[in-house]
Amino acid sequence: MEALTPVIAVLLALAIGAIMLLALQVNPATAYAALADGAFGSTFAVAQTLVKATPLLLVGLGICIAFRGGVINIGGEGQIIVGALATTAFTLGFPDAPLLVLLPGGLICGMLVGGLWGGIAGVLKARFGVNEILTTIMMNAIAVQLSNFLLRGPMIDPKEIVSGTLLAQSARLPETSWLPRLIPQTLLHAGAIFAVVMAVLVYVLLWRTVLGYRIRAVGLNADAARYAGIRVPVYQALALLLSGALAGLAGAVEVLGVSHRMMEGVSGGYGFSGIVAALFGKLHPLGAIPASVLFGSLLVGADKMQRAVQVPSALIDALNGLVVLFVVGSDILVRRRAQRRREQEPHA
Amino acid sequence: MPSASNDGAFSQSMFDALKAVQASMGGEAGMKLAVSEGMVQVPNAAAAIRDYAQQGYDLVIAHGTQYGNSLQEIAKDFPNIAFAWGTATDTFADKGIKNVFAYNPRAQEGGYALGVLAAKLSKSGIIGVCGPVEAGDAKTYVDGFKKGVTDTKKDAKVNVVYTGSFSDVSLMAAAAETHSKAGADVLTGSSQAVVGAIGVAKDKKAIWLGTQALQTALAPDTVGASQVYDFSGVVKEMLALSAKGTKGGTAFELSLKTGGLKIVYNDKLSIPADAKAAVDAAMKGIIDGTIKPLP
Repeated sequence: MEALTPVIAVLLALAIGAIMLLALQVNPATAYAALADGAFGSTFAVAQTLVKATPLLLVGLGICIAFRGGVINIGGEGQIIVGALATTAFTLGFPDAPLLVLLPGGLICGMLVGGLWGGIAGVLKARFGVNEILTTIMMNAIAVQLSNFLLRGPMIDPKEIVSGTLLAQSARLPETSWLPRLIPQTLLHAGAIFAVVMAVLVYVLLWRTVLGYRIRAVGLNADAARYAGIRVPVYQALALLLSGALAGLAGAVEVLGVSHRMMEGVSGGYGFSGIVAALFGKLHPLGAIPASVLFGSLLVGADKMQRAVQVPSALIDALNGLVVLFVVGSDILVRRRAQRRREQEPHA
Repeated sequence: MPSASNDGAFSQSMFDALKAVQASMGGEAGMKLAVSEGMVQVPNAAAAIRDYAQQGYDLVIAHGTQYGNSLQEIAKDFPNIAFAWGTATDTFADKGIKNVFAYNPRAQEGGYALGVLAAKLSKSGIIGVCGPVEAGDAKTYVDGFKKGVTDTKKDAKVNVVYTGSFSDVSLMAAAAETHSKAGADVLTGSSQAVVGAIGVAKDKKAIWLGTQALQTALAPDTVGASQVYDFSGVVKEMLALSAKGTKGGTAFELSLKTGGLKIVYNDKLSIPADAKAAVDAAMKGIIDGTIKPLP
């Protein structure tokens, strides 16, 4: 029954959404049919869903590592931004480099800088016991301001200055750095396959390596892990670093696969939605794959719903917010019930 | 559209125009209109643009400068669909694309006229400007406004703040607070975030001068006048050209001369006759070319 909790949570959110649609005199069946059509109704729709699912999965994988390690990473947004900035800086810095250098180099840069950004919160927690929720949130704000500064200053597209439009975006990345498109006339790129491979690798890391075992042990019971000789702060910091690296990779994939340049709003809320996708997937890397596709479909389908039945964008935001609220709420409920059960069990 | 269709600014100006064109064509029976609002993320907007084109809409408008690169890619795949974007002047004709229109409001013209009005209405001689990002029509509006003020009242002080965001309402409110504390009794600003600044103007009993859309309804006792972008003429022209087979290639300019820009007063506030006369004279000068609204 517990496995079905997130599904029930989504259905409840959609039920409340139906009430809001009725209040707007829109037939919920028509609206949700448009949502499904927008997410899966055509090759283009499926491709769009997978494009959205890709960063959600990468961020979600990082969340799996962090949460399994007993630390909470709310800094996905900032880690995506700095990852995207680093990838952009690298590829624009070496525009004549061959594909075999530019593409992996761009991805690695995104990962490294994202990891560094997450690692700062990790070190602060490990060294000084600073609450990682606060630091990761604050690091988001710093990343946004850093991006604002760079995209309106040193990294702005020179064409924007010449034309006078001054849009906050970088120059276009060289085509040799782009992730290959999987389906023509869609945005679906090879990053989707890459993300699935990463999910398998994260599964192997967490369940088939000593490092993963220690991260999970720290998350399950920090005191017991410490008693067993595991250096808890080190593994908590490492979990945040790896989590940040995966979010940074999501940023790299977004610029190399979708926008082909760094621009404002590149994080697109994936840093937060990825948490929900991970929770929906029960914090299991392989569970995060279908969860990300589901949330990707909700995001893409909701836009189509707006186009089809002409509801205000505020309703789309509210609907997505309801899904987040219910999924996170159901997770808290399940955890509390599990906690109560443990407390009620007779001690040996 | 990047923001809500009732944002009281850039998106609303296009939405109002589209509704007016729809009404003039006989309502929903005469013209099917679909809108995607709140398209903050460019890839989302790109998906919407492609979807509308695939559905066979006669005209697909990408209402935001940030959508230009995506439009350039998508338009090539749908040569029989007319696309439009703005604020912009580039139809991509030099890149071999023939099915894109562009539109650009000369915001500096109404900015200059409202600057003249501000100089006439201000008792303190201090005027505050709440700008979003120093770019596009926001910049030209602010530059024109400043020139209008200083051409009218040499010793007037125009304080300008750019918040760096098109959407941050609280930053706009903070900018207006700063202006008010500095003694400004007339305020203006651009972008969908100005609702925050208008709220401050209302609280401080200052006069607000709006741009992009008619902002009177946001604060009927505070908004003195608005520069309104009236895209209806441009939309009608694009539809007519498209029906004749011309799917793009023209860059439209909205100006006081063409009627694409209008100064609309709030009848509830009594604007002195000499102030209105000065605005009329400024508008006449801009139209006949004797006044250059930009420095």
